Amino acid sequence: MLRVAIIGCGKIADQHVLASRRIPDCLVVGLCDRELLMAGQLGERFGIKACFADTAEMLRATNPDVVHITTPPQGHFSLAKQCLEAGCHVYLEKPFTVTAPEALELIQLAERRGRKITAGHNLQFTLEMLEMRRLVAQGFLGGKPVHLESHFSYNLGDASYVGPLLGNRQHWVRQLPGQLLHNILSHGIARLCEFLDDDLIEIIATAHQSSQLQKLGGEEILDELRVLIRDASGTTAFFCFSTQIKPGLNLLRICGPANSLTVDHASGSVVRHESGSYKSYLTYFVPPLKNARQHLHNARVNFMNFLRGRLHQDSGMKELIGRFYQSIRSQGPLPIPYREILLTARIMDGIFAQIYPAPAGGTPAPAPRETAKPAAAVTMP
Amino acid sequence: MNSNHIISTTDRVLVTGSSGFIGAKVVEILLEYGFTNVRCFVRPSSQLDRLKQILAARPGAKSIEVISGDLLSRDDCRRAAAGVSVVYHLAAGMEKSFAGAFMNSALATRNLMDAFMEHGHVARFVNVSSFAVYSNLKLNRGAWLDETCPLEDAPQERNDAYCFGKLKQEDLVRQYGEKHKLPYVILRPGAVFGPGKRALSGRVGINTFGFFLHLGGGNQLPLTYVDNCAEAIVLAGLQPGVDGEIFNVVDDDLLTSSEFLCAYKQRVKRFFSVGVPFFIAHGMCCLWEDFSKRRQGQLPPVFNRRRCAAEWKGNRYSNRKLRERLGWKPRVSMRNAMAAFLSQYDTGAT
Repeated sequence: MLRVAIIGCGKIADQHVLASRRIPDCLVVGLCDRELLMAGQLGERFGIKACFADTAEMLRATNPDVVHITTPPQGHFSLAKQCLEAGCHVYLEKPFTVTAPEALELIQLAERRGRKITAGHNLQFTLEMLEMRRLVAQGFLGGKPVHLESHFSYNLGDASYVGPLLGNRQHWVRQLPGQLLHNILSHGIARLCEFLDDDLIEIIATAHQSSQLQKLGGEEILDELRVLIRDASGTTAFFCFSTQIKPGLNLLRICGPANSLTVDHASGSVVRHESGSYKSYLTYFVPPLKNARQHLHNARVNFMNFLRGRLHQDSGMKELIGRFYQSIRSQGPLPIPYREILLTARIMDGIFAQIYPAPAGGTPAPAPRETAKPAAAVTMP
Repeated sequence: MNSNHIISTTDRVLVTGSSGFIGAKVVEILLEYGFTNVRCFVRPSSQLDRLKQILAARPGAKSIEVISGDLLSRDDCRRAAAGVSVVYHLAAGMEKSFAGAFMNSALATRNLMDAFMEHGHVARFVNVSSFAVYSNLKLNRGAWLDETCPLEDAPQERNDAYCFGKLKQEDLVRQYGEKHKLPYVILRPGAVFGPGKRALSGRVGINTFGFFLHLGGGNQLPLTYVDNCAEAIVLAGLQPGVDGEIFNVVDDDLLTSSEFLCAYKQRVKRFFSVGVPFFIAHGMCCLWEDFSKRRQGQLPPVFNRRRCAAEWKGNRYSNRKLRERLGWKPRVSMRNAMAAFLSQYDTGAT
């Protein structure tokens, strides 16, 4: 039985408890929040009695195997370090850390301690992403991707999140180097990192504030971001974060040398784009029909997955947590390689250095075109 | 207006949630009662139009203070409560998550009570709760629902984060009353309505599936017009001898759901609706809840037995205690209240 503890009993903690309960042979044994009442309310609702306001006390009393850290990101590094040093494996909600050097330090610590750590990039493990990986593993793309596109939309209309954020300069999101973007980007960046090499040649980022956010009193917050990335092998990537694109996009497009794929999280679908040409006007009739057939197929697959109970809210989180626990039990590979976690963190650092440059007299921002290399080699598990 | 109030009109009064639908009215009635030292607490992101209109229309309003902050901040609570004699606590976040609802209801209230006891001239803490805290699961249809009725003991099963937040808020207020001798009154308004609130109460029905399901049928609605509700709240902070008491707030001459919907359709717009008898609604909610449990929440238990009972079972409501103990009576009749409510939909009306 894997003993699980959770630090940070805010909104996302519910999903961690629920996901853990759907995984066999694990038990949530402790909850911790610096506000004891928050730990208490989560414990009361899920029947978990051991509630603490101090991490060290929680670790001593409950002796967990795995700790899920779901606090605001500013606490991730110190809490994860404390848990790793106490001998626990760690599941860190996204963003993994505030900076890439912190990410590297944690991973190196985990390796020295013989513990495992992962990032909460649960969108990497939805049913449609698993299907995408199956097709890529079969060679559908025809080789290494030539170009990638990741789109991630965000709804400013969610008053319960945006309202407190806009009205409070001290809100923890506003204290992050990348502010609103920092808390959300990693999902969209992480899915690119699976296909990019570590050796990045260029990260070009540009961002601005939408007129909607201006009217809401967004002050310095930026909510429209576009990023171009190129790695040393020539694979390019485009990332778009937007609060204005309608309908909102949450998709990954992988363009291979032979064929391409589009993974759409909004509809839970995978669309294959196969090479081929048709004579004359057939090119206007056949491809749309083939696309329609694929969409029908996706609808049927999703419906069957729903009936079988596989299509579930937060199925990505349950899958990721399950695979992380399995890697702990079986000493097998991690669900997200450390390489991808570090690359995600480095790309985010590179983006924020450009869109939120250091003030005059402070540390100058890096030039837009730079080679981003890891500070030290990391042994791959 | 009763001259035997526990505070004078020059004592400082704090109203949280003062830019909200009910809060702004509470401020208005306090000014009407002659209170000149009202501190209005708002969130930085709040829309202040309602409050500004009220303050602009009152000559005495020049001395009214408006401060913004976050009740989750101890410092902001201290600023809000400094020198205050009565707190009218209406601030509530309409959070969908249980954790968020708890933070914005219970934690915020805890911070405010701490600040009030340390920095205020404590006369009374008025906590505005909600009918949402009640459970009528074990009551018969048509039974009286009053202040003695049981509270919800399974808000998670009811999938009602707002109910959870309010229950925990009340728990904390009562604890502070017991342990720290904080004088308090708890008010539980029913369905508050009036110009400025356009949406129909869920107790009438829902539009979830693309057309209106009329689920309220012949049930009496626990309506309270915003002006009447606000006056009850004001009196709860002023009337002597009611510390530690709880009051339901509903008006006289309550309409049934059918009467309300009929009036709405006649005045505002006709639309297609399907009447659903309670036994069918209850059956569907049971099926949904059981499916959700079997599938480990694959479909969230949005429809469930407890919610069905709370919103559509149908009970009767009384304001007897409010009248007898606070000397309250509705200043706006149900007829005039409905007229005012429906007039907001007239073309050009605000």
